[in-house]
Amino acid sequence: MSEIKIVNATGLACPQPVVLAKEAIEKNDQVKVVVDNETALENVKRLGTKLGCDVSVEAKADGIFEIILQRKAGAALPDVAVSCDASTPAGGPFVVACAEDKMGRGSDELGSVLMRSFLHTLVLQKEKPDVMIFYNSGVKLTVSGSETLDDLKELAAAGVEMLVCGTCLNYFEIKDQLAVGVVSNMYDIASTMSRAGRLLTP
Amino acid sequence: MSQSAPYFVMLFKAVSYALKAEKILKAQQVPHKLIPVPKEISSDCGICLRYELQHRCSVETSLLNQVMYEEIRILSH
Repeated sequence: MSEIKIVNATGLACPQPVVLAKEAIEKNDQVKVVVDNETALENVKRLGTKLGCDVSVEAKADGIFEIILQRKAGAALPDVAVSCDASTPAGGPFVVACAEDKMGRGSDELGSVLMRSFLHTLVLQKEKPDVMIFYNSGVKLTVSGSETLDDLKELAAAGVEMLVCGTCLNYFEIKDQLAVGVVSNMYDIASTMSRAGRLLTP
Repeated sequence: MSQSAPYFVMLFKAVSYALKAEKILKAQQVPHKLIPVPKEISSDCGICLRYELQHRCSVETSLLNQVMYEEIRILSH
């Protein structure tokens, strides 16, 4: 039995602690990872579990945690991707899908105000979606005269890609009024939704 | 709509007042926007009415004696 390998991951932001822990456990049977925040703690613990290691945690003073990863004797490590749920989504884009021109059910009048508020707030947020998808009555948000147009244009100017369902524009007979985004189809919509790291439907 | 030029927000006691104000302003074609109440202001109602400086007179005249509001603030962010 080799002696315990110590990885000091204090002061490092995700995914660094997970990367270092993974490298270490690939070469050693037992690794002690030292981290100084809850996010790194959770991510390293999750890595250990995924790799099939025994995981134990000891909380030290000043917010320091020591995580011991112990490989099961003779067991090969499965191939696990480094993931870091706290800040970055696992891989794919952050997608917001507007399926209606209203937010929630109960009152249409209120739902319309809520949707406008939601989109306005999205503009003010630091982390903006990568892609926004509009379908069914959601396409009404993107046409001229829509009260959400200013906010959507601002999002588009900030680099948010906007896919607007062509079938839906056609159904509501408002295709000629599209004022933001591009006319899209179910292939693009379905594939964007499928590869989304995070999919949010207001 | 620029986020940096100063603008007014009118705060209401309840959402229904904000909706009523919007109806009146829409009918009279006075430019305005319903927005969530900015975080730094506390209000019972989550929605407020935003309007630009140059529309102050038309907005406030249109709503006079029509809709009760709590207060009007000028914001610039």
